[in-house]
Amino acid sequence: MPSPFDQTAVTQGPLRQVQPELETLLDAAIDGVMIVDHKGRVRLMSHAAELIFERHENDVLGHNINVLLPDFDSLLRKHVISFMPNSGYARRGQLLGQHHETIGFRSDGARFEVELGVGTIRGIEPSRYVVFVRDISERKRRDEALRRSEAALHTAQALANIGNYVIYNDGATEDYASPQLIRMFDWNIGEEEGRLGNLTNRMLASVHPADRTAVAQAFAELESDAATVDINYRIVSATSGICYIHHLAQVIRDVHGNAIQHVGTVHDITERQLADYELQQMQNRITHSGRVSILGEMATGIAHEVNQPLTAIATYAKACLRLMNNGDCSTEEINATLEQIAQQALRAGEVIRRMRSFVRYHEARPEVIDSNHLLEELVQLAQTDAHYHAMQLVIQPAPQSLLVQADPVQIQQVLLNLVRNAIDAMQGVNDPERIIVLQTSLNEEGDVEFMVADRGHGISAEIAKELFNPFYTTKVSGTGLGLSISQSIIRAHGGKLWHDDNPDGGARFFFVLPRAG
Amino acid sequence: MSTTATIFIVDDDPAVQQSLRMLFRSVGYRTEVFNSAQLFLEAFNDQWTGCLVLDMRMPGMSGLELQQQLNQRQCILPVIFMTGHGDVPMAVEAMQGGAIDFIQKPFNDQDLIDRVTHAVNKDKRNREALGEKNEIRQRLASLTPREHEILDMVVDGKANKVIADDLELSQRTVEIHRARVMEKMQATSLAHLVRMVIAADVGETSDVGVTRLTRV
Repeated sequence: MPSPFDQTAVTQGPLRQVQPELETLLDAAIDGVMIVDHKGRVRLMSHAAELIFERHENDVLGHNINVLLPDFDSLLRKHVISFMPNSGYARRGQLLGQHHETIGFRSDGARFEVELGVGTIRGIEPSRYVVFVRDISERKRRDEALRRSEAALHTAQALANIGNYVIYNDGATEDYASPQLIRMFDWNIGEEEGRLGNLTNRMLASVHPADRTAVAQAFAELESDAATVDINYRIVSATSGICYIHHLAQVIRDVHGNAIQHVGTVHDITERQLADYELQQMQNRITHSGRVSILGEMATGIAHEVNQPLTAIATYAKACLRLMNNGDCSTEEINATLEQIAQQALRAGEVIRRMRSFVRYHEARPEVIDSNHLLEELVQLAQTDAHYHAMQLVIQPAPQSLLVQADPVQIQQVLLNLVRNAIDAMQGVNDPERIIVLQTSLNEEGDVEFMVADRGHGISAEIAKELFNPFYTTKVSGTGLGLSISQSIIRAHGGKLWHDDNPDGGARFFFVLPRAG
Repeated sequence: MSTTATIFIVDDDPAVQQSLRMLFRSVGYRTEVFNSAQLFLEAFNDQWTGCLVLDMRMPGMSGLELQQQLNQRQCILPVIFMTGHGDVPMAVEAMQGGAIDFIQKPFNDQDLIDRVTHAVNKDKRNREALGEKNEIRQRLASLTPREHEILDMVVDGKANKVIADDLELSQRTVEIHRARVMEKMQATSLAHLVRMVIAADVGETSDVGVTRLTRV
């Protein structure tokens, strides 16, 4: 940059005719101080100013201040005053302005940011100016770093869909909510102070009414004694509708244990929730189709099972009519027969009801249920098929009631699948007893173990390797999904499914479910 | 219809048992009910007459297995199978095993009664035929060797004179023997005698023949 000194340099002595007090004042000032004459020439430079500009006073005296502050001239013109003598402002004197931010040059030509305060000295003609200089480059750098850091944080929050907030309990400090949180909750609020109001109430107001009580309770617990809060809930947003929120929070306490601040993050997990939901739906559909397929395999047996009561109904009715026509039938017998007919109709209906409820599409709903009860219900369902194939189901329930947390239909599906496999395994096997044993017991780990044992042809090592693979089947009309689905169901229930050889011949399948309660 | 004819019902379903029992009572049959094929087999007596109404599918011993067991015991009780839907291959097997009939559940009452009546009558005829044959065999066994010799020749259509010559007997002696044969065989005529001898010969050779009598 061309030096303006060459044209404007005027040889004059240092302006050091100041009193010793003022000299000390100048030297002690943290900010740099310079005095400039009406032509912009530097007439005095304090020690601090020398340090700021990295120049000696002697090198600068008499040179135009432009060499140090290139915009000084235009700054004064633009904002406050001209250097022209006799200008009205100059004569008025005193403070001309503070906090003007501009650029300074160091001796090596490096630019840095300065803040200026400028005043005129009263009663001197031509005018002289006092210039206070503060190096604000470090502050600027920190501001910029902070700004970038905040921007990065906001971008990160926007990308991750995470917002954060701070609630101050001192009754003075305004609560803070990050921009992403405000976007997430879809609050239409401005930028002004106090816009958030009571943040706790504002957040609660956005929570889905069905979840609000639980969230309010969690907040209250947090205020009193809970260490952290980790809850999922729904919020109702004006533009996005229902969003799923994962909320983590904790409080900062003083030495007395009083909550001072409540800080937390909120994470919009709607997409993940929807993906999970769709996955679950898919899983449900596969599981359901597994049930339909099992029932399809049982169709002949079911027809047979319904046929029995129908046969009885038709025969009772006709026999009763014949006996009545013969006059060989008492009122009591007619009543008893009609009663039998009604019972048989209900029995047929019950077979159909069981099948329907088994095959109905439903979403997995775990409940706490007695494993022996599951076994009994299953026998009701599987009896048909076993009966049709002239096989017998023998249940050996655990002596005590073993509770499991499970979806009853899905567990029955697994059991029925295993029983169907057992029936198929025993087809054509010459065992006069043809017994399938179903058992529940408490295992050594304290889990509830279910067993389905057959006396069929067993499982070869070759087949065992492929057994749980989807679409692998040894049956003529099997889908190859039964065991694969069963395994998924048991895994989803936190259990496992396996098999071994029945010591009496055949195969045994086991699965365990965690004991509940 | 024989008053001793009984319908033996083997079905594991109590409601089906009871309703069948009522239906057969309405037309005057006695009934005996068994819950399983095993129970029937344990109680079985070859003097039982009437008809067996047998369910095809039962836990434990199946209807077909019971049929095989009964065949081995030379049971001539006619068997009507009750089948479910889609049990045609089993029904075919049952017929090949000597069943008189099969009927699909649920059935028309009259249809079942007709078939059962037919089976009961068939059983009665079979047993009468069997009884008559046994009677003839007993009469035949009562003949002396000489009388048996003369019977064979009479049935062959030889005249007394020819028989007397062949056996080097007097014609008078042949006449006396012949009269003794007619008397012992309780024959009312020569034709009757011939028919009895032919009837006694039928099915004399094999056990299977006995059960085949029950076939339609």
